[in-house]
Amino acid sequence: MSLEELAFLVLALVAVATALLALFVRELVHTILWIGVFFVDLSAIYFLIDAPFLGVLQLGVYAGAVTILLLFGIMVTRKRIFSREAITGIGALPAALAVATFVFLALVVGEFPGGEQAITSYNVTDLSQALFSQFGVYLLLLGLVMLGALAGAIYLVREGRE
Amino acid sequence: MTTLSIDGFIGLSIALLAISIFGILTRRNFILLLISVEIGMNAAILNFLFFAAFPNRSPFFDGLQGQSIAIVLVGLAATEVAVGLAIVLALNRLKGTINVAEASSLRE
Repeated sequence: MSLEELAFLVLALVAVATALLALFVRELVHTILWIGVFFVDLSAIYFLIDAPFLGVLQLGVYAGAVTILLLFGIMVTRKRIFSREAITGIGALPAALAVATFVFLALVVGEFPGGEQAITSYNVTDLSQALFSQFGVYLLLLGLVMLGALAGAIYLVREGRE
Repeated sequence: MTTLSIDGFIGLSIALLAISIFGILTRRNFILLLISVEIGMNAAILNFLFFAAFPNRSPFFDGLQGQSIAIVLVGLAATEVAVGLAIVLALNRLKGTINVAEASSLRE
């Protein structure tokens, strides 16, 4: 086992463990802390597969902005920040559905040939040039969605709405 | 040159998706619901990046396209959290709680 494989194995285990912990821990603030670890861990995986720009983006947007936004959401909706959540327990049907999804997708993907392969890495300059010329439509669509979402969010939270 | 096995990547992505589905179905708190959706979104971004790293395994797009879609998805997920929190604030103002089981006024 090479060093990269070991690193990926550890990072993948940490990702799954922190995702589960975030959903099962009782304190809502601890959930946010675990999900912060999850985002940082995913950015480490991005660095591992030679996508440094996405790694930095993940650190900035997810580990930075999204975590703080979620924390802000808890802060303004609670009288006491640290208060325990009544845990709903593990429903049998949702758990079965999740396991069934995992098994089904694993079986479907298992049909395709796997194996070891060298990772293709991309130049950030090439990526930005492609993003602004060849795939510029994606950015335009994202801008439109963001504009609509911004207007909707402001409409939802403005004062005096009946 | 880094060499890695593809199966592990796909396995991680599927596992995160399963966790996300479980969270969406069981959690009643709106913020936990948002977090579950974020985990699923991250599984999708991860998948696009994996197939960008192994471009000859993906018949549908080349590597640069995969990374471009991943960048757009990160922006989309951030937008989704912003709208979700606006809904949290509106729900809290309206009902005094962010339990999604309470938000049932459209049911009647």
